[in-house]
Amino acid sequence: MADICYEDETSACESRPLWSSRKWRIGVQRFRMSPSEMNPTASTTEEEDKSEGIYNKRNKQEEYDFMNCASSSPSQSSPEEESVSLEDSDVSISDGNSSVNDVAVIPSKKTVKETDLRPRYGVASVCGRRRDMEDAVALHPSFVRKQTEFSRTRWHYFGVYDGHGCSHVAARCKERLHELVQEEALSDKKEEWKKMMERSFTRMDKEVVRWGETVMSANCRCELQTPDCDAVGSTAVVSVITPEKIIVANCGDSRAVLCRNGKAVPLSTDHKPDRPDELDRIQEAGGRVIYWDGARVLGVLAMSRAIGDNYLKPYVTSEPEVTVTDRTEEDEFLILATDGLWDVVTNEAACTMVRMCLNRKSGRGRRRGETQTPGRRSEEEGKEEEEKVVGSRKNGKRGEITDKACTEASVLLTKLALAKHSSDNVSVVVIDLRRRRKRHVA
Amino acid sequence: MRSPVQLQHGSDATNGFHTLQPHDQTDGPIKRVCLTRGMHVPEHVAMHHTHDVGPDQCCSSVVQMIHAPPESVWALVRRFDNPKVYKNFIRQCRIVQGDGLHVGDLREVMVVSGLPAVSSTERLEILDEERHVISFSVVGGDHRLKNYRSVTTLHASDDEGTVVVESYIVDVPPGNTEEETLSFVDTIVRCNLQSLARSTNRQ
Repeated sequence: MADICYEDETSACESRPLWSSRKWRIGVQRFRMSPSEMNPTASTTEEEDKSEGIYNKRNKQEEYDFMNCASSSPSQSSPEEESVSLEDSDVSISDGNSSVNDVAVIPSKKTVKETDLRPRYGVASVCGRRRDMEDAVALHPSFVRKQTEFSRTRWHYFGVYDGHGCSHVAARCKERLHELVQEEALSDKKEEWKKMMERSFTRMDKEVVRWGETVMSANCRCELQTPDCDAVGSTAVVSVITPEKIIVANCGDSRAVLCRNGKAVPLSTDHKPDRPDELDRIQEAGGRVIYWDGARVLGVLAMSRAIGDNYLKPYVTSEPEVTVTDRTEEDEFLILATDGLWDVVTNEAACTMVRMCLNRKSGRGRRRGETQTPGRRSEEEGKEEEEKVVGSRKNGKRGEITDKACTEASVLLTKLALAKHSSDNVSVVVIDLRRRRKRHVA
Repeated sequence: MRSPVQLQHGSDATNGFHTLQPHDQTDGPIKRVCLTRGMHVPEHVAMHHTHDVGPDQCCSSVVQMIHAPPESVWALVRRFDNPKVYKNFIRQCRIVQGDGLHVGDLREVMVVSGLPAVSSTERLEILDEERHVISFSVVGGDHRLKNYRSVTTLHASDDEGTVVVESYIVDVPPGNTEEETLSFVDTIVRCNLQSLARSTNRQ
């Protein structure tokens, strides 16, 4: 996709059409996703950037609250699960390292202390030199809660979707795919991740096709003039993080990269049409790969798998490739990003940069929610701390949802991509996987 | 249920056209190709879908049956100023010369993301309201389809529906084969005609 946008850039320099006098908007926007923001526009104004961030932080709180309600309800209604409910208490005594024979002692309210099981994460998206933002990002910490008599665990969902042709398929994935994964996860007792993810992606693909046949969203550029979205699609790289595992499901050419002990470990493989096994699959299905500004299915699409793109099926399939990775103490962070980043930044360079950010900003032993670091005096920082406090108070014991260091790492990666002349949209999610220090429960 | 789509390639032997051999490309003569040969179509349709193919060029046609009267289909097809009413892959379209109703008018089309093209400048060549014929040629833009000319005709089918025939002729880009070029363009044209069928039936 980036190679097209390079042409776009060249074309703009050589002979920009008279009717298109608007300047290309290049900038980085740090924001928290919310349902009302289907197509955020990047802004070069720093004040707008920070102001928007504060606003979006509130939206994120609301969305988070909503997701808590949505995700807890199915759990509570499950007849097969015995539910242990402790009011005002989120305690997990068992984790992946505990023996199944451990018996959980249920402490009294007074001795329970808050522990934060959610990973820290940050997100940044930038329109770049292309004039439309067609990426979308979904962040759903604790989207699944699993409870048994002896343990309570939470699963966290992160997704990055890179749309092409228009934005509405990616926007639809952002709204729905985590819900489909949640449904599959809650109904599946064996935790067969490959099948769960494949079913979720297939359902998502069918939804965008069916959805296009009934009603078009007024929020995307197709408007009412093109009542057909056979030719619109999106990538989807999704990660579900549990206490024991990192699950990645990928469809298209976005990518997930784990940083483990300082080394970049890809957890997904890009679906390019000239990847040998993809080329074989396409040809066996009766399609062909043509080199037309790069390898493309039927000369049209530069990826071999996508959600949507009904006119190119069965050559372009929505079946994800799924990896399940056991978590280890050496895991540092996970990066999910679109090809706007990966086309111009190597896995290793991205890991090195994020690592510097996290190590500088977030000491391993530091605990969140405690006294703010002394010495911060600038007005903006004061505002941000105030917002944090408000957020903490509003959510009682849940504390901060996103971590500044992860967000700054994400922003830095998007800036690096722009500096390296990426001409695509760039969206980045950074998830801190380092274990919090466990507190002892009496 | 998707409407049946038929393909007629310029390289099909039944059209009386022989595949170009490499050694013919430098001095091959222009060949007249009738893309509706074998089909039962009105005489003017056959004439509009006959192309003079030079060396390093190729041509093809796509046929789409639509269960709607020709007037309904024509209301969408005739919009040189607003091809988005049924065509995919168009992000914006603007008339840059004339009003879109006369031969010689120009439009500037911006292409959606994900495709190997950015823009296309297109000239209206034919707009026959009586016989339902529209044709445009591509005279500029950022893409690899040089000397592209397209003709779309509508005529009534035997079962009160409409037969849409779209044919085109285009240069084979450097580095690609004739077969690849036809495969690429046919995919785009087929997608658009299927969209036209759905758009018409949705009205």
